[in-house]
Amino acid sequence: MLYVKNLYKSYQTGKNKYQVLNGVDFYVEKGEFVAVMGPSGSGKTTLLNCISCYIPFDKGEITIGGTNLAGQSENELAQFRNTQLGFVFQDFMLLDGLTIRENILVPRIVQGEVPGEAEELADRLTALFGIQHIANKYPADISGGEKQRAAVARSLINNPLIILADEPTGNLDSKSSRTVIESFGEAKKRMGATIFMVTHDSFAASFCDRVILLKDGSIYRQLDRRGDRGQFQDQLLTAIKEMTE
Amino acid sequence: MSQTITMKKMEQKLQRADRKHARLYLFCNFTALMIISAYTGMMLSPTVQATFPPGGDSRKQMNAIFMLTLIGCVVFTIYAASLFFRHKSGQLGILMALGASRKRLMPGLLREVLFLSSLSCGAGILAGFPFIWIIWSAFRLLLIDSSDMKLAFDLRCLLISFAFLLVVTAFSCIIARHYLRRTNIMEVIREEHISEPVKELGKWCAPAGCALLAAGVLLGYCAPGFYRKQYNSLTPSWMGILYAPAFAGLYMIMLHAVVHGFRSHKHNPYKNIIARSMMKFQGRQTVNNMIVVTLLIAGACFGIFYIPMVSIGPLMGYAAQPYDYFYHYRADQALPDKAAVETLAGEYGLSLKDWDEMEYISLGFGSMSTIMEEDGEHWRKEYVPIAQEIRAISEDTWNALTGEATDVLPGTYLCITNAEETSISTNSSARHITNMVTRTQIPTEYAGLLHYDLLADRRGYRILDNTDYALLSEGLTADWKGKIVRFNVDGKDNYPFADALFHRIVASFDEDCFISSFYERTDSILAEEQGIPDWQASDSMMLVNPKEADSIHFRQLWEYIPNFRVLSQNDFLLSTSVFLMMFLFIFIVCILTALIICYTRCQTIALNNRYVFDDLRKLGASPAFLDREVKSQCGSVFKVPAAVAMIAVYLLFILLVYGNDGQIVFSEIVALGACLGVEAALCMLTYGIYQATVAGIRRKLEISV
Repeated sequence: MLYVKNLYKSYQTGKNKYQVLNGVDFYVEKGEFVAVMGPSGSGKTTLLNCISCYIPFDKGEITIGGTNLAGQSENELAQFRNTQLGFVFQDFMLLDGLTIRENILVPRIVQGEVPGEAEELADRLTALFGIQHIANKYPADISGGEKQRAAVARSLINNPLIILADEPTGNLDSKSSRTVIESFGEAKKRMGATIFMVTHDSFAASFCDRVILLKDGSIYRQLDRRGDRGQFQDQLLTAIKEMTE
Repeated sequence: MSQTITMKKMEQKLQRADRKHARLYLFCNFTALMIISAYTGMMLSPTVQATFPPGGDSRKQMNAIFMLTLIGCVVFTIYAASLFFRHKSGQLGILMALGASRKRLMPGLLREVLFLSSLSCGAGILAGFPFIWIIWSAFRLLLIDSSDMKLAFDLRCLLISFAFLLVVTAFSCIIARHYLRRTNIMEVIREEHISEPVKELGKWCAPAGCALLAAGVLLGYCAPGFYRKQYNSLTPSWMGILYAPAFAGLYMIMLHAVVHGFRSHKHNPYKNIIARSMMKFQGRQTVNNMIVVTLLIAGACFGIFYIPMVSIGPLMGYAAQPYDYFYHYRADQALPDKAAVETLAGEYGLSLKDWDEMEYISLGFGSMSTIMEEDGEHWRKEYVPIAQEIRAISEDTWNALTGEATDVLPGTYLCITNAEETSISTNSSARHITNMVTRTQIPTEYAGLLHYDLLADRRGYRILDNTDYALLSEGLTADWKGKIVRFNVDGKDNYPFADALFHRIVASFDEDCFISSFYERTDSILAEEQGIPDWQASDSMMLVNPKEADSIHFRQLWEYIPNFRVLSQNDFLLSTSVFLMMFLFIFIVCILTALIICYTRCQTIALNNRYVFDDLRKLGASPAFLDREVKSQCGSVFKVPAAVAMIAVYLLFILLVYGNDGQIVFSEIVALGACLGVEAALCMLTYGIYQATVAGIRRKLEISV
């Protein structure tokens, strides 16, 4: 589903150049729930932003569902983002002036038309994530957990190839974090969604099928979940400790 | 099931939700356009155009301040537009992140920009006219009402306002396009939270800035005069660039105020460190705003200083003049004699005393004249034996007039000037005096100055030796001879008598006497003799209309305008009303714009740093500490531009006053003192608005002192 090959990305600040991604290689299978973890400055968010087509990359290849992102025009990338990708952000990024239901429909609205089936899907998603009671409320009137579940619902409205999530639990308390991560689990189970998530949170990552550990812009190690969630979280914590020592 | 939502409906809904953020943008556009439309409306109004002499200093001053205001409004609207789009970028970024293409977003965004710009600017343009009407009417109602002050508009003033509207709209569209063209969507999303730190310079930048400011002002002021003197040529327009160091200096002073502040905290270097750091991170816009505010307050000072500078000298002069009534007329005119004037005075319950009549003659005087070359740019100095008509009195007349015992040597002449020697009618270059009827010409030589305020009018008087006077008087016809009349009122004078006598005198003159004091009879005679057209005959500025005897034009220009103390004192404001109103208006516009910019800038600084104040509160900062941080920031925005502008303009006025004639006379010292008083009032006004702004921010940040 997602192939990243030999990816390089650097930033220029004044005269200084910072190499953020240093030849990253990995893949994500269809229906897989994968997390990327790593210390601050390891390049997690930059990696996600490159995959999301938010920022251009210097070198390498990113292929999603057979489409190579390199060489695509701005309009083609916009259309690809809109129809094939779903996004969940740390700070939710809901539009304050729209209701939750309307926010969920934004990717379809941007396409130009909102067919009845999209509206039905929006209603199903609100029900699936337990936010139907706030569907007609505005973001300012609901909790962070509810906002993030709305964002997860929004990411699924187009039946995307992959959901890209950037620290989705970063701004939430533990209870809300669990609900949001369980929403991803529901999306994977009920809708066969493929999810690629960047996180600091070992608890959130322990729900994933696989975790990629990133260090200084390169992949340090990949861990597959084989046992139960708790064991996997212990495994992750040990690996992170090794990585940071 | 809710109603189906489309892209257009979604954009409309988002725009409605964004009204709060659009408010500042709308307000700034509205205010800027109202100010520009009002200023152009006033500046181009037929009344102002007819009153302000073309090429005169007052007109130049009005135009220069308009340019300052225009620059201020441009920066003001650009600032508001960038604030609006900084907020808007978050929304745009989310939509772009979710796959909305530029092509899809552009029409909606442009629609919004066009709607907001045209609505706010259109309303601003329309509001400009009632704004003028209110100020105009309030001026007439509360201060001065004269028949000259007819409110009329030239619709060409709308052209400038519409041009500005187009600039505002085009600029907003360009910013909108700029945001949508960014390749890094994350930057677009985070734009609102990105700080704009200013480049930090050392503490040397304040003294260097002051030096540059002073150098720029001196260079810009002195260089054109030097150029004119050196090259006998009009000053090229590029010389305006010589003021550039002043702007660089201003920038450095404001930069210092934002980065370092002007208060020294040697014993506590951490004092105000938080306020400084907050300002530094929004430094670019703050420094830009402070420069604009400085320019606008400077414009306001220029405008308001005009009033004491032009009024105090004449008002002091009227109070000090030794006779209540002083006038002159051509000998061929049948003016009311002493008995007729006494009868008229009796009708108003007055009696006269100290009546005196003296004669004068009008002669052709030589002068070193400025002759324009054919290119219209350069000139040459050339002595012309008959260059101007001057009135002359004999030494006996002078001695009778003043009680002095002056002896004028034959073949010489003395000039009469006022006590402060500010009269422009003195000329030391004459080498010939000519009887314009018989063409008798005698050589002459300048012998010095004598003082008598009432004879120091625009044309001027010369004192001749009795023999020379008699020789030059021979053969003169009555139209080259004249009489000076002076008298006092016994007891308290009254205005109705002065006004009635004034109109009686005006009505007594023949039509050919209604000429301007700039009119040169000698030029017309020489032109006729040489068979060349007399340009003065076709120039409306050379004539005055007796039917408009109370108009500014008539009072300021008529060759035979009488000098009646009570009339001058009462009508001074009337005869200068349009000037006073225009400059008062300029003051109001400039100070209003400056204070609005300060207010909005302070609100923005405080609100953008709301989270810093919250963090400080969590760290245990007391309300008094938070209040001090708010005051420190607002203080820099209000006080530094006001102080720099007021000091700079005051010093510039001292320079201008001195530069006029190389001296500062008593009435100018008094006027400069009045300007100081005006500055004190301006300080109080600024301080009041500063306090109101601080109070508003305290409320918004919930700081209870």
